[in-house]
This record gives sequence, structure tokens and C-alpha cells, in this order.
Amino acid sequence: MAQIEQSDKGGKKKKGAQKKMQIHVDFTPMVDMNMLLITFFMLCTTMIKSQTLSIALPTNEKVEQQDMNKAKESEAITLIVDTERNDDGTIKKDGDGKPINVVYYYEGKPMVVDDNNDSIFEDSNLKREQFLGNADGVQQGIRKILHDRNKKVLEKIDVLKAQWRNKEFASKKELNDSIYQAKAKEIRNDSTLTRPVVIIKATPGASWASVIGALDEMQINQISRYQIDNINKTDEGMIDAWKRNNPGK
Amino acid sequence: MGKVKIKRKSTLIDMTAMSDVTVLLLTFFMLTSTFLQKEPVTVITPSSVSEEKVRTSNVAQILVSPEGKVFISVAGDADAANADTWGSEPIRKEILRNAVTEYNRLHPSKKVELTEKDVETFSKINAFGVPFQALPAFLRLSPTEQDKVISDMTRADVGIPIDDNTNLETPNEFQIWMRAIYSSGNDNLQAAMKQGEGIAVKAGQDTPYETVHHVLDNLQTLKMNKFSLMTALKTEND
Repeated sequence: MAQIEQSDKGGKKKKGAQKKMQIHVDFTPMVDMNMLLITFFMLCTTMIKSQTLSIALPTNEKVEQQDMNKAKESEAITLIVDTERNDDGTIKKDGDGKPINVVYYYEGKPMVVDDNNDSIFEDSNLKREQFLGNADGVQQGIRKILHDRNKKVLEKIDVLKAQWRNKEFASKKELNDSIYQAKAKEIRNDSTLTRPVVIIKATPGASWASVIGALDEMQINQISRYQIDNINKTDEGMIDAWKRNNPGK
Repeated sequence: MGKVKIKRKSTLIDMTAMSDVTVLLLTFFMLTSTFLQKEPVTVITPSSVSEEKVRTSNVAQILVSPEGKVFISVAGDADAANADTWGSEPIRKEILRNAVTEYNRLHPSKKVELTEKDVETFSKINAFGVPFQALPAFLRLSPTEQDKVISDMTRADVGIPIDDNTNLETPNEFQIWMRAIYSSGNDNLQAAMKQGEGIAVKAGQDTPYETVHHVLDNLQTLKMNKFSLMTALKTEND
């Protein structure tokens, strides 16, 4: 391949004819150099492009009470994410080496039982779930709860998704995508459907991953109304009560 | 017994094909990958299902280390036409000048004086994060020394000071920097920050919410309510 053979078939040997030459270029150093360059590029560059998740926080300016858009009690669901930690502050891992992210939640307003009025709650309407994702195509854990709350929207979006896959909106991919996105957004914000309002809170020890996980669930379950809020005393008291009532969990 | 004749074979291996393959691989790597940005700490971002790609131009990236130290890196306009006015380096110079002027106005007794050379050095640094008072000394170190200082999370003079200040009349250093970035004069950057794409918060997946919360609170105070969070693509199929 890298040699050029000059053959003179059947030619008679003449006097003064050029000598047969074999040109052979050795490519080994070239390969060496290329390998070095590849190594350099593999070490100094990254192929991973970060994804972003955009969020909008509510303003922290004092809002007039009547202006406040109070969430309807029946629609509200509060999630409090937490991460189980060892005594030294490191994150507890389960058998598969995954962190244990739990989510406490209550529907509507917090309801607490405080028999002796000492602000140490005996019981509340707080429940606990985990981020389990899907198992065999069925929602598990907190996803199931959010999925059930937003069923009406999700049903409509599923129909839309099927149409989008069959490219029913437009034959061109980009156009098909954008029509789908616009229609999905319309459904997500359709006020005639019962949609939940999710308030996401996090305990101080909750890992960043668990907060992102909660925001992710909003995307997965097509929930358009959610906000991040700060944890308050009542929430902390409710978690304490839950832990006391369910020891060893 | 006849002698077994061993055929003499040339040991020369033709490397041309090998060379072809390596050059192709090299081309592939050069075209698809991007250079790693030097960062004071390497954090593993949590994964999410979001498919929005992070911007590489006109973005202010806020990096939060697990210890709660805050660093900011600013990328300017990628457009080659205005690289001289709003590329990464000119914009960083502009931001530094703005921020230092603002800091000196607020703290007349502890003024920070920077030379033209310091500003030049600053524009070459990708992620910065030292208090204003330590800035001149930091910028006069050699690049290797700078890297060493900024990656040492135990030092008190590393990381932009940030507290729970909600009064914008007396902003903390983080707020001074963010406002300087916002008002750097580049309309594209300002528009991106308004839409939320221009501010990216990056934190490790194990970092406690308490730590990241500081940054979110400060952004809220600055009325930069819209921003994006850096995540990696979810690997599991769910």
C-alpha cells in the first residue's frame, strides 16, 4: 500500500535503464504521533454536554394578601424532599449504591395533632414515599401519587403523544415537534382540567440531586403549576412526628 | 532427510491502514468534543430528564462547591464579529472594572486598587472566586499558584462571600458581581439573563440543599428569579 512498485513487464533490459525502485514509506511514527494526539484529546476534552433545567422562583417581595394567588386546598400538594444521611453527614446509600431520597408529602393544608399544645406534634397528615420511578411501565412511589393527581392532563397528553409519533401534525420533523410542544403546553395550562399545585420544599440536609429529582417529577408528570418554597417550623415538626411514629424506617 | 526450508518473510507491517484509522478517530474527537474548562472544583451534577442544552456563550455560570464556596465564570459572545467588544475576555474586564468600582463606592475605607495588568490577568481566568480584598494579591500570583489557591477549599479567602442579605442598598459581594455581570453593557448577555438561560447554577448531586439554597435566595433578592440549573442527562431508562 505504501510502496510504489515500478515494474516493467516484459520489457527488455536496456542499457542505462533506470533501476527498479521500491519506495516504501514507514507509517509507524505517524501512527505513534496520532495515538498520542488521540490520547491528549480524550483526556483534555469532554463529550458530555450539560443539560439544563430552567426554573422560575417566585418573587420574595411582600405580596398583598388579596393579591396572593392562594392555591386551592383540594389541588395543593406539598412535597418535602429529604435525603437520609449517616451520623457523619455522608449520604446513606442503599444496596445498589444509590442514595436514599425520600419525600414526605401532604395534601391540602397541614393538619396536625397537638394534644398538649407544646408544639411537639403527635401526628399529622404527612405521608412518606420514595423516588422509585417506573417499574415495568407502571409508576411507583411518589410518581404514582403525582400521576394520579394529574391524570386528566396526562391522558390528553398521551393521545397527543401518539399523534406526534405518527407525525400527524406535520410531516416535517421540526414543525411536528413545535406543534406538539404548543399543544402540550395548552393542555398543561388548561384550567378546566383538575390539575394539582405542587409546592416543593427541601430539608436543609436534602441533597441537591433529590431537589432536582422532585423538579424532574414535575416534568415527567406534566405538572405546570409548581413552586419551590422554604421549609417552615410546622413542616419540620411534622417530619419529626412522622419519624417518632415510624421508628426504624 | 531433507532440510525444512523456512521461508524468509519480511517483518515489515504496513501501517498505512492503521494511520488512516487513527487520523479518522482524531478527527472525530476533535469535532465532537469540547475542551474541559478549568474549574476550581469538579462536581457531579444530578441527572434530569430535561433535554435543553446548556449555553456556551453569553452565560454566567455559578458554581457551588460542596463546602458552600461560590465561583462565577462568565462566557462572552461567541459571535466572531464582536469578539473584540463582547468576547469572553473584554467582557470579563468590563465586569471586573464595574464590580470593583461598585465595591469601592460601598466600602470607601477599604478600597481595592487594581492595575491594568491585574485586569488583563483576570480576563484570562475562567472561574473566579476570591473576595475583593484578596483580589489584587491573588491576581499577582503566577497561574500555577492561582490554581493552587483557588482549588484549596479549606482557605478562608477562597469563594465569593455570600450571606443572607436582602437589602440591595448594601449588597454582598456575590450580589455586586451578579449586578456587574448584568450591567456589563452587552445586550445579548442581559437578554439571556432575563430569560433565565444566561444564569446557570451548577452544584454537585450530594451537596446539601442548605448550601445551594443560599445562592437561590440571593438570586431571588437580585430579582433574577428565572435561571437554569445544570444537570446531566438521565442515564436510566425511565
